[in-house]
Amino acid sequence: MGRVKVAVVEPLMTACEVASYLLKSCKSLQEYESFMFGSSLFGVGSDFDILIVGPSGEPLNRLKAELRLAGEELPLDVLYMLPTEAVETKFVTREKCITLKQLADSEKY
Amino acid sequence: MNWQVKYALKYILATHGTASGQHIRDDAIRITMPDRPEAVAVISAAYTINDELAMQCHTDYPDMDFLCGYRKECVWGGGAIRYLESNTIGWGSAGTLNSAINKGKVNTAAHKDYSFSYRLIRQNRSITNLDREFDRVFTMTLASGRTFRVGMVTEYEPIADSIRTLWDQFGPIDIAWNINPNGHPTPEAIEAGRDLECEVMKWDELKLLLWNR
Repeated sequence: MGRVKVAVVEPLMTACEVASYLLKSCKSLQEYESFMFGSSLFGVGSDFDILIVGPSGEPLNRLKAELRLAGEELPLDVLYMLPTEAVETKFVTREKCITLKQLADSEKY
Repeated sequence: MNWQVKYALKYILATHGTASGQHIRDDAIRITMPDRPEAVAVISAAYTINDELAMQCHTDYPDMDFLCGYRKECVWGGGAIRYLESNTIGWGSAGTLNSAINKGKVNTAAHKDYSFSYRLIRQNRSITNLDREFDRVFTMTLASGRTFRVGMVTEYEPIADSIRTLWDQFGPIDIAWNINPNGHPTPEAIEAGRDLECEVMKWDELKLLLWNR
């Protein structure tokens, strides 16, 4: 039993660590553009918002399976877009998405 | 302590500076806020919460005020929703729990993504019969006798994958209702719906369908 403040001391993964972990665990991410966005970049929020841009079909099913396994003990909220949808919605710019690669290489987040 | 309990406690503290959370045991936490009733929440990592799991949680934690499906993709079965609501136990996502703590109404809260839209449907007089199969899927029968299976899509801009995934996960639906009042489905989402013989609608179009029953 412990108060919240005690629980917070226990290390939870940072945005950088999550990015690095996902890139290592999900081989299919190499075939996709992958980003993180939202409040999780700043260490708040109930989950990590991830955007995946790329083709649908079997490769996507494979990636979803890998992410599901990797996210077994992580609160991930994953959004999958086709490349045309990413262009139409301008989501990456609008939501100030940061690539997982960039995050993994950084210690800022 | 389970991973989802750690995240839930961190999230509650980050959002409500004055909140205090205490891990009771396993998936259960006690939330205390000044001038608010104390609440017991059970934080589940399940992908699906059905009536059996909801009842089991209630048996394990008889003073449970709220059952939280911490995963974003957590799906709630209609039976679980009916059981929890009839026992005055709130249910929903981490965001739902968070809002409910804020309002001090934890045990009557319902999944915030769907509650407003489902209430619109429940109160509509054109509908003679309504069966909520899942948090986001219901079958409605209109006064004319026509029946539609409807899936609620929460995204700001539903994309093709939102529609295909809904279909794959829950089976054939007649209508994919984009319940987010802002934004619009992408052309690819509408096209994906058309391929599946499912119409992607906003509230204005659904209202028209109900109006013309």
